[in-house]
Amino acid sequence: MSNTIEVTETHHEPSPNKGTIINTIFRVCDITGFKVDLRAEKLIRVNAVAAVVSLLLAVVAAILLVFTRYQPVHLLPAEWYYRLVTFHGLNALIFWIIFFEIAGLYFGSTVILNTRFCAPKLGWVGFILMVLGLVMSNYMILIGKADVMLTSYTPLKAHPLYYLGVILFAVGALIGVILFFGNLMIARREKTYGDSLPLVAYGLMTAAIIAVITLATGAIIYIPTFLWSLGLVQNIDPAMYKLIWWGLGHSSQQINVAAMVSIWYMVSFLAVGGTSINERISRTAFVLYILFICLASAHHLLTDPGVSSAWKVWNTSYAMYLAVLASMIHAFAVPSSFESAQRRWGYNKGLFEWLSKAPWGNPAFSSIILAVIGFGFIGGTTGVIFGMEQTNIIVHNTIAIPGHFKGTVVIGTTLTFMGITYYLIPLIFRRKIVGMGWAKWQPWLFFIGIALLSISMIVLGQLGVPRRHWDATFSGGPFTYNFNPAVDFFWTLMMLGGSLAFISVTIWIGIVVTSVFFGPRVNGPQDMQLKISPLAPPAKSHKGFEAPGTLVLTLIFLLVFLALFFLNWKWLAATWNVK
Amino acid sequence: MSLLSPAEGWYYKKVSKDEKMWMLIALTLCIMLFVWMVLWHVYGKQNPSSITYKTSTVEFAQLAEAYTKQNMIGVDNGIPVVRPQPNTDVFVMAEMWRWSPILVLQINQSYKMHISSKDVVHGLSIQPVNMNFQVYPTYDYLLEFKPTEAGEYRIICNEFCGIGHHTMIGKIVVIEKEEDLKKYGYENFKKAPAAIKTTTNQPVSEADKILLGEQVFTLKGCGACHKTDGTVLIGPSWKGLYGKQEKVKENGETITVKVDDDYIKESIQNPSKKITAGFEKTPMPVIPMTDEDIDNLIAYIKSLKN
Repeated sequence: MSNTIEVTETHHEPSPNKGTIINTIFRVCDITGFKVDLRAEKLIRVNAVAAVVSLLLAVVAAILLVFTRYQPVHLLPAEWYYRLVTFHGLNALIFWIIFFEIAGLYFGSTVILNTRFCAPKLGWVGFILMVLGLVMSNYMILIGKADVMLTSYTPLKAHPLYYLGVILFAVGALIGVILFFGNLMIARREKTYGDSLPLVAYGLMTAAIIAVITLATGAIIYIPTFLWSLGLVQNIDPAMYKLIWWGLGHSSQQINVAAMVSIWYMVSFLAVGGTSINERISRTAFVLYILFICLASAHHLLTDPGVSSAWKVWNTSYAMYLAVLASMIHAFAVPSSFESAQRRWGYNKGLFEWLSKAPWGNPAFSSIILAVIGFGFIGGTTGVIFGMEQTNIIVHNTIAIPGHFKGTVVIGTTLTFMGITYYLIPLIFRRKIVGMGWAKWQPWLFFIGIALLSISMIVLGQLGVPRRHWDATFSGGPFTYNFNPAVDFFWTLMMLGGSLAFISVTIWIGIVVTSVFFGPRVNGPQDMQLKISPLAPPAKSHKGFEAPGTLVLTLIFLLVFLALFFLNWKWLAATWNVK
Repeated sequence: MSLLSPAEGWYYKKVSKDEKMWMLIALTLCIMLFVWMVLWHVYGKQNPSSITYKTSTVEFAQLAEAYTKQNMIGVDNGIPVVRPQPNTDVFVMAEMWRWSPILVLQINQSYKMHISSKDVVHGLSIQPVNMNFQVYPTYDYLLEFKPTEAGEYRIICNEFCGIGHHTMIGKIVVIEKEEDLKKYGYENFKKAPAAIKTTTNQPVSEADKILLGEQVFTLKGCGACHKTDGTVLIGPSWKGLYGKQEKVKENGETITVKVDDDYIKESIQNPSKKITAGFEKTPMPVIPMTDEDIDNLIAYIKSLKN
């Protein structure tokens, strides 16, 4: 593919004999051979840049929060602590992730389908709305007019412009999602791919479908709340608000999961030439995500009044936890895609040679493997256990809850997004990665940092420490309370983990910014520092297990899950009786 | 081939043995989790209740206040202490920023607790036993608790409820026998609660007014923000407040007012009109009170001299 031509704005030298076969809106990637719509590429770039800016805002707030909750330092005053909790939540969970997802959706619907972008101008409208929303909401938070947390449970009230900012951002994102479907339609009509969508595009499509449901739910709750803050609506029922808000708040996490798992499959392909050992199974699992996202919103109301136990049990599980099942299917399908490819490359010795001989020097690969481990062992196990009706009693609103979603959203989604960026820099920004040495251990540092942070938060929560709480010594209250003395140790661990993760993100942002703005240009496959593997050769024979190593790993996961499961129910059984 | 269309025949490819095994294990586990939750309702002793009553903040505040007044046996740190009879209804009120009342419970006895909020959403978190429930305004959540271990417990708030969130801490005491009250300094509290007469038409003496005012202070939760010993928390201290020249902000302008009956009355009925300088970030909520309550409260504030 080295004889194809690159046509970029700054590089207008198509050789006359090849120029005719290439439409001027495209360049053909000299590394992957994909046709890249230059207008889509620009949109991918700006959305990715906005994502990195949001992440920077989020982590600066995060480190200040860590050192506030770490009592020996207790950095911020109360009002700034709560202000920055709101700020951190919005920037990390919404802006960083959704900007990145929009970039991912544009990438998945144009580049890998070899197709054009349906309406680039609208893409810019969406982007501008999102940036406007980001600026407006962040400004209202920082001037102290929206100290309501990300959840903004009514009757806590923020300034109308805060809600308007969130609404504008959501409308912008919705435009992006609609454009994604527009691109798919063009690709289908013009038959730019085979009979079926590639798995990555399919996974991203499920993410987009969930995004539509999620953003619609967001509109249902944010628009009346906005009117209420203007005084045009009298009353927003607090229980109704929380119920619908989580239709947005948690379903949006399912967008992350679907997008993240798609990227896992993508990296398996890029790094070792692997694919799901059974695409029908992987695709079915994605469909389960769409069908059973409601699981998500119900488990936020497990210890709430207003809804009955039957409602809670049914809606968290639909009798068999089908969204959990989907994640467990991917938990096998993703590692087994690596294993199967590696075995076909000849790393066939024993149970784990495929793993020990894996491309660990590829930061995208190590990011993804660490993300899979963290997401499963930390986020997944606790998510399922905390999301059961009764065990929720011992963790609801404790710091174990943010501890849990540090495991899912931070180790899972954020590390995955950070990892795939190492491929996006050369392929989309056409720059070499500056500081590959740093890039190699950045994912490990991040994993260790967030794992420490997350696990210590979970333990602290199990010891009763509340989340979103400025002073766990209750200064100024009528009484005081001392938590189990073990908390001191875990606060220190949390502070340590938070600091390591902060350093790691700083390194990552440093690498990304330096590479994108000052890195040497990529002029062809010889400049590609990360390997793009050819397809793994087909298997010789099909006897017995296809991925025995993965099966062993998933069984270990199962044992860890069961241990944590019984531990939590044992703790629950030791509490007072309640009915 | 995740970036390319799948290979031909992908849809009919047989599922490998190990993947089949794992999916079967996973599905079994997922069904077990559901069955487990249902069975815990039958055999387990910790299940969130399904009983909720719709109420209003005013109605629940009246119910809770009447209940506390009726059953109060004393005061601890400005918060009324109630010792409910086993198997009776108990009213627990969350408000910015206190839990009221303090409860003295008997071990292994059941209490039907009605829990609601006077203002925003709060989180009821009983420590160190670590049981957590959500508390809403306008919803009365009925949870029947049976403490299984004696000792001193705290109720902390674990849902963000404003700048004073971290000061919101209440108390539950679980006793085995009568002597245990000594451990908590409650041994001299009244055995049987006696209601204070408030319905007589006779003029009330100033001394009685002060006592009644103190009761209003305790019942309405003024002490969550206003201390009477000169320490300044979320709101100005009441010690030596009466008759003082106070700097306040009205429509953005700072003026000086004298703290007298009219000013106090206005501050209670329309707290955001004049805000004491230095407390702009913690505006006072409107707390419904009768004129009589206010009169008594003024008498009480008057009595708190320097």
